[in-house]
Amino acid sequence: MDHFEGINFSELWTGIDACGFYLKPIVKIATGGTTGSSLGICGYYNIASGIYDKVMVVGWEKLNEGGATTGIITAFDPVWERPSLAGALGPLALMANIYASKYGVERSMKAAADVVVKNRSNAANNEFAHLQMPNITTDFVMSSQMISYPLRLHDCCPQSEGACAVIYANENEAKKITDNPAWFKGVSTAHYYTFGTDEKMYNLPTATIASKKIYKKLGIKDPVKDLDVAEIYEPTSWAELAWCEALGFCDFGQYAKLLDDGVTQMSGELPVNPSGGVLSTNPIGATALVRFAEAAIQVMGRGGKRQVPDVEVAMGMGFGGSLWTELCILGKDPKPLR
Amino acid sequence: MVRQKGEFQIRWRTDLPYKWAIGKLAVKYFEELKKRKIMGSKCPKCGKMYMPPRGVCADCFVEMTVNDMAELSRRGILEGFTVVNYPFVDPNTGAMRPFPYGYIICKLDGADTYLMHFCDETDHNKFKIGQRVEVVFCDELPKDHESYRPELKGDIYDIPFIKLLKDQEK
Amino acid sequence: MSEDKKVFKGRINVPYKHTAGAYVEKFLTEIGKNRKIMGVKCPKCSKVIVPPKMICFECFEKMEEWVEVGNQGTVKGFTVITHKTDVMPLEPPFAYGIIRLDGADVDIVHIIKESDPKKLKAGMRVEASFYAKPRKRILDIEYFKPI
Ligand SMILES: [Zn+2]
Ligand SMILES: [Zn+2]
Repeated sequence: MDHFEGINFSELWTGIDACGFYLKPIVKIATGGTTGSSLGICGYYNIASGIYDKVMVVGWEKLNEGGATTGIITAFDPVWERPSLAGALGPLALMANIYASKYGVERSMKAAADVVVKNRSNAANNEFAHLQMPNITTDFVMSSQMISYPLRLHDCCPQSEGACAVIYANENEAKKITDNPAWFKGVSTAHYYTFGTDEKMYNLPTATIASKKIYKKLGIKDPVKDLDVAEIYEPTSWAELAWCEALGFCDFGQYAKLLDDGVTQMSGELPVNPSGGVLSTNPIGATALVRFAEAAIQVMGRGGKRQVPDVEVAMGMGFGGSLWTELCILGKDPKPLR
Repeated sequence: MVRQKGEFQIRWRTDLPYKWAIGKLAVKYFEELKKRKIMGSKCPKCGKMYMPPRGVCADCFVEMTVNDMAELSRRGILEGFTVVNYPFVDPNTGAMRPFPYGYIICKLDGADTYLMHFCDETDHNKFKIGQRVEVVFCDELPKDHESYRPELKGDIYDIPFIKLLKDQEK
Repeated sequence: MSEDKKVFKGRINVPYKHTAGAYVEKFLTEIGKNRKIMGVKCPKCSKVIVPPKMICFECFEKMEEWVEVGNQGTVKGFTVITHKTDVMPLEPPFAYGIIRLDGADVDIVHIIKESDPKKLKAGMRVEASFYAKPRKRILDIEYFKPI
């Protein structure tokens, strides 16, 4: 994105140099952290509207070339927010801190470390994941350096370089490309207001709004039962606790129990982040598209060592901007879910 | 993500000056701030008090003007805290932001929204959510304090940080 | 109310790196070491691209044949910068030209060391003048001067 690498015509570099789309329509979309999911949703709109038959969607980032924290600060209000803002981690630490004070510091810290161990263990089965830490333990996470209380180093995502491309096609074209596509069942977006602190936000209200909307539309009553896998956008371990609660996987304050019961482990009823999640890889402009792509990979059965068995329905999530949420639900069967 | 040795990189620094029209309500806010008053804006429809003040209530999509502005307390409640303890370039200056620093979210008495700002405390054990906090003005600081200024100027540096109030100050 | 109070004056000041790649490195090295301007030739359409790119944007072919183009070229268009802003590479006045180097099939934009619009015209010939101490930057071609 522009403010991370300090460049502006990146859509031409990716579109023409890398993809050969000379004289074809190319559009750049940048909505901060949700860039990838905004791309993913616009790809869907382009096909579903009938305007295009086939679309390639590309998200990318090279955080080595700038700095995520520095770039993120420039996205916020010059007068009120830029002077004290510490990128994304400062506010995410505040949210974790509020969460901990509500639901118990000790228990939340342990649960957060469990999230890191779960996701980074999953990443060990994904050759594309940035951080490869197959032997990670909760003790290791909980003794890592304090970055921004209560966030420790390993509660945080890395800064990554990476890209993700997804091919979208209408029904006729899809048949020519693969026998086994992932079908879009629906998308959902909730954007909040300018100032991030108008609400305390620790429980990501936009995730609740967006998920209720899409569940209702698709007739999903219990996401843990009705979804087979979820790829969520967790920039910190604490975010997975709060975001999954906001998405209705359990009641508020109860994600630690879900973890204890193994529900969101690879072998559980609703595996969360089989790819290793954002905690393992975070090329920001690609990150949310990776979530959508992983949902598609799981539905198409192309997950290899990280494949969840018998996936019929998968959800992908984007998070970013002023604490926005974007969701997609994909299915194996072209017919409506219910 | 591992860099290849000898990979050719160009390094440069973007240094762009910009002007940002802050809007009528913020202009009023800073005028009043100079008189040691902290002003929010109240939605004429739902009554929600916004701090910082702004021109539109997002809930009602109703315009707020300077006539909808009202004074808030300089004291409030601590809602969340952290101590930023990692290095990064501050794009406002181009230099490293000094760290560690206390960073809090609080709600001033009378406001319905929250405020994020610096706090002068850097030991995370000293904070307690729900405790009282108070806005500090630059002219109240000891003269040798780095944020001290002899008078208020009506800009963001008038309030360099928010301090935690000790129990007896409640 | 003064303008000062209505407007917040800020800066965005950020250091960046850019991985320019092997083609740009070779291009800048040839300029710095040998005073040669190099392009690459497309195997399909035979166009010579300067500055070099790995992929021909029209044919989507990988280009691997390096060819030297002339240090001289023809101005196709120009403008003279007279106003000053904070972010100029040079003290105005100076000219920018669209220049077609001899043997190239695309144009480059660069500085022309002539700020009198009367002395500039489309079709005029110019020659590259190289920076004394090369730093692997495009400004190692310091400017083009009218011949
Ligand atoms: Zn209202
Ligand atoms: Zn060609």
